[in-house]
Amino acid sequence: MSISMIGLFQEATPAADAMDGLKNAGFELGSFDVLTGTPYPEGAFGEHVPQHRLFRFPAFGAIIGFTLSLFLTAATQLAYPLVTGGKPILSIFAMLIIMYELTMLSGVIATVIGIIFESRLPNLKMGAYDRRITEGWIGVVINLEDESRADDAEKVLNYAGAVEIKKA
Amino acid sequence: MVNLPKKENHDSHHTLPPENVESSVIVEDLIATTNGASKSFKIIAIGLGIMSVLGIIALVLKWINYSDDSTRWGYVAALVSFLLSITGGAPMVAMGPVMAKANWVRPLTRLAAIFSFAGVSTIIVLIPLLFLLPPLVVDGTRRRSIWFEAPNYSPHIWGIIGMVLLLITGIALFYSAALPDFAVMRENSTGWRQKLGKKLARGWVGTDSQWRTLRMRIGMFGTFYFFVMVMVNFLYTTDFAQGVVPGYRDAIYTLYHTVSSWQGGVAALVIALWIVRRNMKLEKYIHLDAFWSLGRLLFALTLLWIYLFYSSFIVFWYGRSENDKATLDLLVRGPMIWAFLAGATFIWLVPWWILIWNRVRKSINGMAIGSCVIIIGLLLDRIRLFVSAWSVPQEFIHQKWLKQIPGTIYPDIFDVIIALGSISLSILMIMLMTKIIPVLSIWQIQEFNLLSKPIKFIKGHATLIAKPD
Repeated sequence: MSISMIGLFQEATPAADAMDGLKNAGFELGSFDVLTGTPYPEGAFGEHVPQHRLFRFPAFGAIIGFTLSLFLTAATQLAYPLVTGGKPILSIFAMLIIMYELTMLSGVIATVIGIIFESRLPNLKMGAYDRRITEGWIGVVINLEDESRADDAEKVLNYAGAVEIKKA
Repeated sequence: MVNLPKKENHDSHHTLPPENVESSVIVEDLIATTNGASKSFKIIAIGLGIMSVLGIIALVLKWINYSDDSTRWGYVAALVSFLLSITGGAPMVAMGPVMAKANWVRPLTRLAAIFSFAGVSTIIVLIPLLFLLPPLVVDGTRRRSIWFEAPNYSPHIWGIIGMVLLLITGIALFYSAALPDFAVMRENSTGWRQKLGKKLARGWVGTDSQWRTLRMRIGMFGTFYFFVMVMVNFLYTTDFAQGVVPGYRDAIYTLYHTVSSWQGGVAALVIALWIVRRNMKLEKYIHLDAFWSLGRLLFALTLLWIYLFYSSFIVFWYGRSENDKATLDLLVRGPMIWAFLAGATFIWLVPWWILIWNRVRKSINGMAIGSCVIIIGLLLDRIRLFVSAWSVPQEFIHQKWLKQIPGTIYPDIFDVIIALGSISLSILMIMLMTKIIPVLSIWQIQEFNLLSKPIKFIKGHATLIAKPD
């Protein structure tokens, strides 16, 4: 049975030590994290920073929008070939406006979808938590597949100076 | 004899940096601001509620009596512009300085974002104008507008879509920054506020990746808000002012309206901060530095008003064509000259000479006075622009330029009640929001304390600010 364990710290330095301790004890990166009530500078606890994929969403959205707009403008003009002002049927400068707008629109919509996806909210399984985190305490939380390494994790947290350890 | 420099007390003309406050105290203090309501708060809220209802009744009665005469709706159009400026302009403070990584802005962002909710009032007042605005084709002929070949009711549809989109984007900007505080409410509030916090926190626990995506969301919705706000200002000024006056073409008008909207928004935020600081006893969180920094911004925006007005004016002045002269007659030197002179005095001349003094910008009361003057000036400026535009009868819509300048239009009793009602509704919505969620962002004040420390610097005092991002 998977368990979630949290060590509570009043100061940032011992919490950072606990993160180092868990890393050195061989716990898998990504299985432990730090919980704070306010954003600390990135990397302040030596935490694992997972690579986000947000940039892919606007890029793919823009490519899809551009492709669609190219098809839309070219197909409609070829379907209704009206010569306007002596310009060619496929007039690039007239097409550019629609292509730009549809590319931007798709990029924006994809970004909104991406940010919702990347936020991982709602977080239905909160795991171990403590209300004192909202009051400035720092939580180091570790998620374990089973109880086999729970004692090791508890030892690391205690050694770093956890004020309290809770399991959920 | 040697003249020695006069010894001064250094602290007498320098402000001491704010002291840091314990995180638990911040939570306790700010959660307490949402609990209960004082007797005076309830009386004011009830009074504003009654005024709001009266305003809506007056709007309906005006529609029943004058729905066939668009010239009587200029003050309502000016009111929409005024409300759009205040409620749309203030949230810009929640993203502009944040993106510039200004530390002083952290305690203000929540209050600035809350102004978005008052956009409901703007939409309510806009509704009758949508029915009064002429379609693109009038009497079988297409009138001059920005909508070439567009469907007949494009200005109406895009006008309301723009306003609703601004409201939604503003609320999204508010919510994206409020998630951590809903988690604080989940853990520290009681009763319905705790349940609301639990529901809206969406399982927020404050992991590193949650904080990272929070920053992304604020940046993204802030950018969207900026785009939508400019778009709405463009649509409203072109369709509901320039579009109803024959021959009125001004490329700078939208920018003028947008920038003066920021000016009004910042001024309204200063007044709201002054009230919150005083009435909620939040002096240890809303520091003089915030007023001082907003003062610089407000001063710059005040100077921009005259720059943009003059840039616009000079084109008509030197143009001297018939429609240029008619536009100046209508908007500046004609029937609304009283509004022009009073507006320019209050939105630019007086605040210029109030805010030019560092001592005033560095004082909380001085900033509040300067901001009140700007709000009055903004209202007069919007009256000048929209009352004069709507005073043109719709029979003139196909003229090449305005050949007959209408007379001065004064507000009727409905206009006065609608104005008081809609402004009351806006204030009421902001007041009620302060009882739902802490008026200052808890996590941002904790971040403010985390990243800044008051230090002794040689013989003086300073704040050491970390800028890690």
